[in-house]
Amino acid sequence: MHPTFDTKKLRRTILDMAYAGSGVHIACAFSIVEIMATLYREHLRFPNGDPDAATRDYLVLSKGHGVMAQYACMRELGWLPDEAFSNYLSDGSALKGLPDSRLPGTEVDSGSLGHGFSIGVGLAMGAKLSMTDQKTYVIVGDGEINEGPIWEGCLFASHHQLHNFMVIIDENGFQAMGKTNEILALNSIQSKFESFGFDTLSIDGHDEIAISQAIHQLQKNRSKSPKALIAQTIKGKGVSFMAHNNIWHYTRLNSDTHAKAITELSGDSQ
Amino acid sequence: MRQALADSLARAAQHNNKVLLLTGDHGYALFDDFRRLFPSRYLNAGVAEQNMVGMAAGLARAGYFPIVYGLSAFIPIRVLEQIKLDVCHSNLPVIFLGDGAGLVYSTLGTSHQSTEDIAATRALANLAVYSPADRFEMSAVLDLALSRRNPTYIRIGKCDLGEVHSTALTLANNDIPTLRERDSPISFIATGSMVKMAIALADEFGASVHSVPIIKPFNKELFLKITSHSQKIVTLEEHSVYGGLGGMIAELMSEKRPTNILRIGVDDRFSHNCGSYQYLLEDHGLDIESVRMKLRRFLG
Repeated sequence: MHPTFDTKKLRRTILDMAYAGSGVHIACAFSIVEIMATLYREHLRFPNGDPDAATRDYLVLSKGHGVMAQYACMRELGWLPDEAFSNYLSDGSALKGLPDSRLPGTEVDSGSLGHGFSIGVGLAMGAKLSMTDQKTYVIVGDGEINEGPIWEGCLFASHHQLHNFMVIIDENGFQAMGKTNEILALNSIQSKFESFGFDTLSIDGHDEIAISQAIHQLQKNRSKSPKALIAQTIKGKGVSFMAHNNIWHYTRLNSDTHAKAITELSGDSQ
Repeated sequence: MRQALADSLARAAQHNNKVLLLTGDHGYALFDDFRRLFPSRYLNAGVAEQNMVGMAAGLARAGYFPIVYGLSAFIPIRVLEQIKLDVCHSNLPVIFLGDGAGLVYSTLGTSHQSTEDIAATRALANLAVYSPADRFEMSAVLDLALSRRNPTYIRIGKCDLGEVHSTALTLANNDIPTLRERDSPISFIATGSMVKMAIALADEFGASVHSVPIIKPFNKELFLKITSHSQKIVTLEEHSVYGGLGGMIAELMSEKRPTNILRIGVDDRFSHNCGSYQYLLEDHGLDIESVRMKLRRFLG
């Protein structure tokens, strides 16, 4: 069956696996569900459906804490068996609580933040040197961009005119311990990336049409600049008692909260 | 030794069009040939080592063979986590060249001195660690790294001390070159810049001398064989006595054949003052007179 990447279904998958494995970071995954769904459905190219194809587009989840959103999409693609989800985080689980690049379709080992951005810059530089039309998409969190290597990588991407590189910033306004503007204020993320020479757009990160149009618009632009898409998102989006509630960075589901959340997400998105 | 490195790099790029050279704004004249011959494959990543190593991992994933150059105080020490997570975990073909290891930057102080890099890199899974003593070992370990296509750290220390081998050599993945062969109860085991000193003192103490350019993977069986007559072993390195060559030999011998070992190296401290390279060797008790005294005390 052709995958639809229905976002309610993706969120249910995330809830079920988090419940099965007593996993955390549910809210971190929920804020990037629409971004992931849109990328996999409309933008990422995997020749012959092969996640390891040499000429694939690269999706780098630098913000590894959202990995369950990626796993849910991989399930839609048929890259992961159902057992991987029911056994999530149990003894011997191949799917870990943070991305492991040895899993097909996963480009980087993340969880330690600020790594994936630079790896993505390297992937984009490699595609440029090889003169392929491969695109590199890197998803970073707004908390993650506290990390210095992100800004080192911006300098390089801009200097080397890596127009095949796009960073998507999941601006949900929270990091592990609280609000980003109270911990280490970022002010305007868009103007920061602009000042580093990126072409930028800011959109509602839960509006799939807006996300897709913005990606097309940035790529249609003939500028040689790297691209930054700032996605305004809600941490915990999709479940009323999780949205804007940072305890769901860490909190585990119990049978009650799992059932309530699943009920809110019943049916299809359309 | 530096010329051997420059020649080997250019030769590697000639043979393999996927070889790239990345530098964190270091190595001024070292790359002249490479830059002239392969300008598009030379990337100065700027003063941004963390990003450089992450990028090297990305380039390796995209099919390239990056060689990352920096000073040993920064590559690998500053970027140890990037080496571990971005490169070693996926066993990517990236070679790290850490120049100026040990006390080479004697006038610049602790920021540029590097006496903990072997200890730090030895503990990283999948990472090979090489420490050449002269231009022949330099060429040989680089050729070995290029042929293995796995994560590799090459420690480049004081490089103008002259040669310890008389001819070019080829190193297999498990070699421990013997430089003074004797059926002696005393073995000097040295790496990098200290091999020359081990040779200089060998006759006086009747010791055999072995160079260890391949710290990891270390050929334990071969080592036990070539030291089978040894009642006393002395290790010499321009590195901390913790976790480096001496630590490694002590680990091995304590398990396999308990032996008296003297570890000569930097004794768990930073340099107090600056001065010439010779001055710093004396400061750390690594000049030939100080080493001779330590040997006399140990060997009786």
